[in-house]
Amino acid sequence: MSKDNSQIKKTKPLARKKTLVAYSFILPNLIGFLIFTFIPIVFSLLLSFCEWDSGNPIKFVGLKNFIVMFTKDSSFWIALKNTLYYTIVTVPVTMAFALFLAILMNKPLKGRVFFRSVLFFPYIASLVAVAVVWMALFNPDRGPVNSLLLAVGITNPPRWAASTTWAMPTIIGLTVWKGMGYYMIVYLAALQGVSAELYEAASLDGANKWKQFLHITWPSVTPTTFFILMMLMVSTFKSYDTMYITTQGGPGEATKVLAYHIYNSAFVSSKFGYASAVAMVLFGIIMVVTLIQFKGEKKFTSYL
Amino acid sequence: MKKRRLLAGLLAAVMAVGMITGCSGGSSTSSGKSGGNEKVTIKVALWDYSNTKYYKTMFDAFTAKYPDITVEPVEFAADEYDNTITTQLGGKQDFDVVFTKGTPALSALIAQGHVLALDDFIAKDTSFNKDNYLGLIDQLQMDGKTYGVPFRKDNNLIFYNKDLFDKAGVPYPQDGMTMKEYHELAAKMTSGTGNDKVYGAHVHTWPSNVYNYARRTESFDQLNKDTYMNLKPYYEEILAMQDEGLIQDYGALKSSNIHYSGVFYNQQAAMLQIGTWFINMCLENVKDFNWGCCSVPNEEGMGNTNAVGGVTPIAIGAYAKHPEEAWKFITTVCGEEGAELLANTGIVPGYNSDKINGIFDAIPEKYPNAPEKLSNYINVEKYVIEQRMSKKTKDIDTIFQEQHSAIMTKSVTIDEGLKKLIERVSEVEAQ
Repeated sequence: MSKDNSQIKKTKPLARKKTLVAYSFILPNLIGFLIFTFIPIVFSLLLSFCEWDSGNPIKFVGLKNFIVMFTKDSSFWIALKNTLYYTIVTVPVTMAFALFLAILMNKPLKGRVFFRSVLFFPYIASLVAVAVVWMALFNPDRGPVNSLLLAVGITNPPRWAASTTWAMPTIIGLTVWKGMGYYMIVYLAALQGVSAELYEAASLDGANKWKQFLHITWPSVTPTTFFILMMLMVSTFKSYDTMYITTQGGPGEATKVLAYHIYNSAFVSSKFGYASAVAMVLFGIIMVVTLIQFKGEKKFTSYL
Repeated sequence: MKKRRLLAGLLAAVMAVGMITGCSGGSSTSSGKSGGNEKVTIKVALWDYSNTKYYKTMFDAFTAKYPDITVEPVEFAADEYDNTITTQLGGKQDFDVVFTKGTPALSALIAQGHVLALDDFIAKDTSFNKDNYLGLIDQLQMDGKTYGVPFRKDNNLIFYNKDLFDKAGVPYPQDGMTMKEYHELAAKMTSGTGNDKVYGAHVHTWPSNVYNYARRTESFDQLNKDTYMNLKPYYEEILAMQDEGLIQDYGALKSSNIHYSGVFYNQQAAMLQIGTWFINMCLENVKDFNWGCCSVPNEEGMGNTNAVGGVTPIAIGAYAKHPEEAWKFITTVCGEEGAELLANTGIVPGYNSDKINGIFDAIPEKYPNAPEKLSNYINVEKYVIEQRMSKKTKDIDTIFQEQHSAIMTKSVTIDEGLKKLIERVSEVEAQ
């Protein structure tokens, strides 16, 4: 240790050494990030101005991909609309369920650990398995859900994934059910950080449960809400696996989302340039939404 | 302390180097095998190798014939084969032989320049006779060049459960039925309710399970939008059958991913329209009832002259190291030797000859519950490819799948669906 002390006087070389060691620790991860994330993103950006079918040489075409996308590809608009629909419904519904469940699970309930595990289970289960079960539950002719609806006297139950109107709600239901357990845990952590004194004081002042929620719980978990909002938004915008497993974008184009359109353009139609252009639009949307949220977070959590 | 830090730095550096080399190590190992004197290893890209017996038999037979050529199968998952092979060839993988799943996949590979034209090989090879392929070699052309040799071909037939027909006292389906007759037959054969229900027919969920009726008589062609409206009577008939409960509902089939084979094996449907690969499946799986087949119905009452279906062509990879040896491989497995092996398992080879027909006609000797004279449905006058070769075939196929699901779930009317089909295909053509 004394040796170390003597070295402090010669601060500069030491600091540099420390920095170098720090960099060397970051380096492996950074190299991984560069090779597997950053370079592909830059490549994709460049590709969005080109035509490439993976075989013939890459050809620069300027803005052609974007012009085709906006003016000649009706599928793009349908996919964009579906993506917005999916995101705008999935995100608030998931958050509402997650918060509600977190508040319930935060109470001294008997068998609390068991219920928490049950609610968390869909999140850790494989999407493929969960989706197959979900589709079986919502089978339009033989599914238990429709059997139940028929039994309670609903004569024309929705045809779920087999109907253009109900296919998206069916998938949204699956997404919400699968994801809410995870966000419940995140909310739970936030709730446990809220001081019990606040609630005590409020109840002494005569605030009912709803008032307590509105004026204590909700403001206290705002940073968490923003975090969840952002994570959920990004993940739903990018979502494609659920549709791929359940409906393949159908019936018709009812559940075709942007990420699915990208997959189709790239790996089915081999239009890698065009797919990159759509991916850039999706990237742009996610970036704008995220930036707005960053701004919003600063504004709305300033009281903390 | 200093030493420890140095060590840490070193470790980190080693980790970094390890990561870089770690990810490039995988691909370079396989090529260095062919060191021996003029022994050549050809790489063959295909799917289902490990669970299909005849591939191995066939490859062994090939190696016995050409001892200097070793075959190295490279297997990819069946479901994503088309996309995987495109990506692999995009990375300039040196596959010598490339199995493709059909005309849309082959068309795409041609457009991308991932496969070689075979015309020179065909011209040089005097033993190769394209007349043995029922005109399919010419149908596999694009831009005037040939790129594939049919390994298998599978036309569509109506398979039926003879026992169910006997029990109901209804005559078997015949060649040259009209759609209406088919519909009426299905109505007669539907019985029971709930779990005991036997459906008159089964319509699988592919678009081709409807359009092939019209394609067989050539009144429909995916590459000609003017013919799309001709699908209307066929959709009307199939949807009517669905409404009357004579076939299982499309949406239910999709939601539960039901495979047509189980429905037929378990005697839940009296008739099934599917490709001739089902002959092999029936031979292996149907033990407790007699089955038969006939040509698919159509509005024109066409008998057994035309057959409609897909082809499984084999091509030579554009980055092949041994194209000459690849051609030898192709002519062997797609020639008489390969064809015999296939025919013996009940799979219809691309190659046609009297001998092959004889093998199919001899099937009932070994499998008494199989139909007589199967060659009637294999040795046909004209073999119509369900999806013609074109750069746009794959895109058009995607659109058909989308609109087919919309029509079959009755999310749109038939007219709306077909109109949308025309619009979307025009869009693709314009791009």
